[in-house]
Amino acid sequence: MKPNPSTIVCLLIAFASLGLSGCANVGVKPWEREVLAREDMQPDTNRMDTAFDDHIYFSKEGSSGGRGFGGGGCGCN
Amino acid sequence: MAEKDKLIGGALAAACGLLTAGTPGSSAAAESEPKWDLETGFLYYGESDDRVKDASLSALAIRDFGDERKLSLGLTVDTLTGASPSGAISSEAPQTFTSPSGRGTYTTPAGEIPLDSSFHDTRVAASATWSQPFARLYNFNAGLDLSTEFDYQHLGLNAGVTRDFNQRNTTASFAVAYGTDKVKPVGNVPIPFAAMSDAVNEDDDAPLPGRGADSEDKDVLDVLVGITQVLGRHTLLRLNYSYSDSSGYLTDPYKILTVVDPITGDPVVRTPPPGVEGPSGVYLFEHRPDSRTRQGLYAELRHDFSGKVLQLGYRYSTDDWEIDSHTLEARFRVPFGASNYLEPHVRYYTQTAASFYRYSLTDGVALPEFASADARLADLDTWTLGLKYGHQTVRGNEWNTRLEIYRQTGNLPTRQLIGNQLSSAQMPDFDAVILQFSYHFKL
Repeated sequence: MKPNPSTIVCLLIAFASLGLSGCANVGVKPWEREVLAREDMQPDTNRMDTAFDDHIYFSKEGSSGGRGFGGGGCGCN
Repeated sequence: MAEKDKLIGGALAAACGLLTAGTPGSSAAAESEPKWDLETGFLYYGESDDRVKDASLSALAIRDFGDERKLSLGLTVDTLTGASPSGAISSEAPQTFTSPSGRGTYTTPAGEIPLDSSFHDTRVAASATWSQPFARLYNFNAGLDLSTEFDYQHLGLNAGVTRDFNQRNTTASFAVAYGTDKVKPVGNVPIPFAAMSDAVNEDDDAPLPGRGADSEDKDVLDVLVGITQVLGRHTLLRLNYSYSDSSGYLTDPYKILTVVDPITGDPVVRTPPPGVEGPSGVYLFEHRPDSRTRQGLYAELRHDFSGKVLQLGYRYSTDDWEIDSHTLEARFRVPFGASNYLEPHVRYYTQTAASFYRYSLTDGVALPEFASADARLADLDTWTLGLKYGHQTVRGNEWNTRLEIYRQTGNLPTRQLIGNQLSSAQMPDFDAVILQFSYHFKL
């Protein structure tokens, strides 16, 4: 099954819509970020674990990536 | 010191083609002391039955030059040993194979899945990324990464931009990566579907039968579009769409397929010429398509429950090799005491088989256009279960350790099985242990 280019366009539009209009009223005020500013709430917490895991799963499974670009660049077998 | 770092930061920004003047808050931030944020880790990965073992050392250093201008440097060294499934099927008789170098043989006992034990490699990977704001609400990053192994080289470039909206409650990101790889297999690149040849003498420099060029190239283009959204004071959502296009040599030069009898399904038996060591059956090198297009959706939700943090992830991936996969993952960080936490982790992954996955090839039947018996392209499920413990020191540094169990279970392609395979076929399933120590500190 070849991915359909129109599927890509639709997904991109959906993402853009979600971010720029759909979420316009969602969120917090700057003084309400106490919890969000904590280190364990950052998207790159567990950076080292993620890098190791991406490499392991890239080597052992048929699909990879998605969270970022991590995992590739090896002739793993 | 601060002035020197400002100059270095300016030079690095200039190298990325960016202007530093006009960056918000630059005058105030320039006075702040630069910092190194360092993370070091050791990972042991070991599979059951003397299969692949990997010991890996990794370091990541982030230097803050102020004004949110950061340089990230990464270095990883991997040492791999152990045996890896070759793609050949098990047999009721011992099987002999020529090693990938073509200069020796190895024998697999009856009833066991053939493993190639000549699998040893050391991999060194390095990366550098520069990131900085370039206008109000915009951030730019660019980087390069490279890795080298005995038989594989990789060079990659990447660049990305993020833009904040809605009082920084929404961040949109766009990133592109391009990688160019070179595969240099031991004994040269096998010709697609060439039969495994007899072994030659150690000092014989003649080209091996069935082998072609000494290297092949592969290019990979990745595009990532993402949205990170604050949903509330305790909740963060991330959504990514990813597109990946690979082209060139995508075949695994060390994987083979077994040619079997059309009635019994047993490996066709072959006898090497007198005085020559060689394969005891007919084994053909695999052949994969020279392009692959993959699309993926990734969603991650992070929620705080009064100090406990739940992280849920889901990924859907589909590609034109017909491998569709779903990944579900959860982590739950539970603090205890003044400076400790425990974090259970569970991950489930399932994929469908590639359209050209074959358990074996049938003697006397025309070869398909592409075929691979690599179990990683089969219909399979994996589970990961783990626990992490972290401790924060009085100086604010953190060390942590995690222990995980990884289990991979392949599902037999029952419609492909013939004759005795219906009762004897087996997939090269395995369990693995993942053990990691990390230390995170600042200078």
